[in-house]
Amino acid sequence: MSRRDFSERDIHMALDGELPGDERTAYEAWLEANAEMKAKSARYAADRAALRAAFNGVLDEPIPVRLNKVVLGEAPVVKASPSRTRWWLAAAAAAILVIGGAGGYLAGIGGLGLENTAEDQLAEEAIAAHVIYAAEKRHAVEVPARDKDHLQNWLSNQVGLKLVAPDLAAQGFQLVGGRLLPAGQGKAAMLLYEDDKGERISLFVIAESAAKAKGTYGSEENGPEAVYWLDKGYGCAVVGSLPHEQLAAVAKSAYGQLLAGLKS
Amino acid sequence: MDEKKAAILGEIPRLRRYARSLLRDRDSADDLVQDCLERALVRLDNWQTGESPRRWLFTIMHHLFIDQMRKVNRRGEAAMLPLEASEAQAAPAEQVESIASREIVEALQAISPDRRAALVMVAIEGFSYAEAANILGVPAGTLMSRIARGREELRGLLDDTARRRSIRIVEK
Repeated sequence: MSRRDFSERDIHMALDGELPGDERTAYEAWLEANAEMKAKSARYAADRAALRAAFNGVLDEPIPVRLNKVVLGEAPVVKASPSRTRWWLAAAAAAILVIGGAGGYLAGIGGLGLENTAEDQLAEEAIAAHVIYAAEKRHAVEVPARDKDHLQNWLSNQVGLKLVAPDLAAQGFQLVGGRLLPAGQGKAAMLLYEDDKGERISLFVIAESAAKAKGTYGSEENGPEAVYWLDKGYGCAVVGSLPHEQLAAVAKSAYGQLLAGLKS
Repeated sequence: MDEKKAAILGEIPRLRRYARSLLRDRDSADDLVQDCLERALVRLDNWQTGESPRRWLFTIMHHLFIDQMRKVNRRGEAAMLPLEASEAQAAPAEQVESIASREIVEALQAISPDRRAALVMVAIEGFSYAEAANILGVPAGTLMSRIARGREELRGLLDDTARRRSIRIVEK
């Protein structure tokens, strides 16, 4: 098998037993050669050990009689909480208490936690745009690929960064065209591509970002997936319903070219 | 006792552990398990033979948990907590927890429910990515990013706690 590049993603996979056995040796070698990654891996392993230690005792506790009764059908069963305090209020209380304690850190990562992070928002907007426009036959784009120069100039001016439409012919995709869309408080450029079977993918590019992140996001089962990058000053999501490996390869190529374009 | 009920009884310790990691407070966690068991018994016919009872029950419990968290968040009920809920929270478990244990339990409570569930499912409950993604009803890619971000968030919170602890020591 050919040697591949490892990343932080593999640290999680290795830790969770999801790394294929034949990659294990190469992974260990990579880890040995990367002090920062090795430290990260050790830290995650230690945190996991602490998590397990903190909760394993629950397995040995005697099972509350009321729970056995529910299953054995000896109803009615009254819940533990005296004044019908529901369990989820305790959950909310826990969130508030900890926020009170670690406010500074949590304020930076999105409060109660159900709010969207910058990357979730980018991925969700990109997927929403893809679902709407990739399905359009006649009105998928505002400016078609034959006006590529105009398209690039117009979107660059509107979004506020130097946008070069990546050439994805090596991955089998041709540019269909693009359009301008709202994104958060600003604007986004959407570029649509198509392969010879009519399969479409889209690139969603924004110029406003303070966060730095990369990852994969899928909002629902069997729905399109977004591979995204966020860095200071720009963000990009590549959306499509391709198999994950294929989408990741297209995204990698697109991102490299976008980045080169930005800095040209 | 019929076979299905016996299988469900056997899963209670695992369900309690998962509930405790989601909610921390023992009574609230057991209430969640009870809700889960009640729903499972009503839907006993939906449980296909051959399907793992563990996966089926965890799926039910996860839905109960996430639905409620979403509702709480939408209605903003968290802001109007009865005092007793927060008091119950202040004195969580009868057993003596070590400082390290308490800190990690509190940090886990502070990360977003989606990430917490994904991380716990894999790191504590030992489900594979495929199983956990199936239970949580998300694509594997989403599960992976939740696990990665959950771990990162947890690490940040623990570092933050450690920093505040050292500041307190310096101030003394």
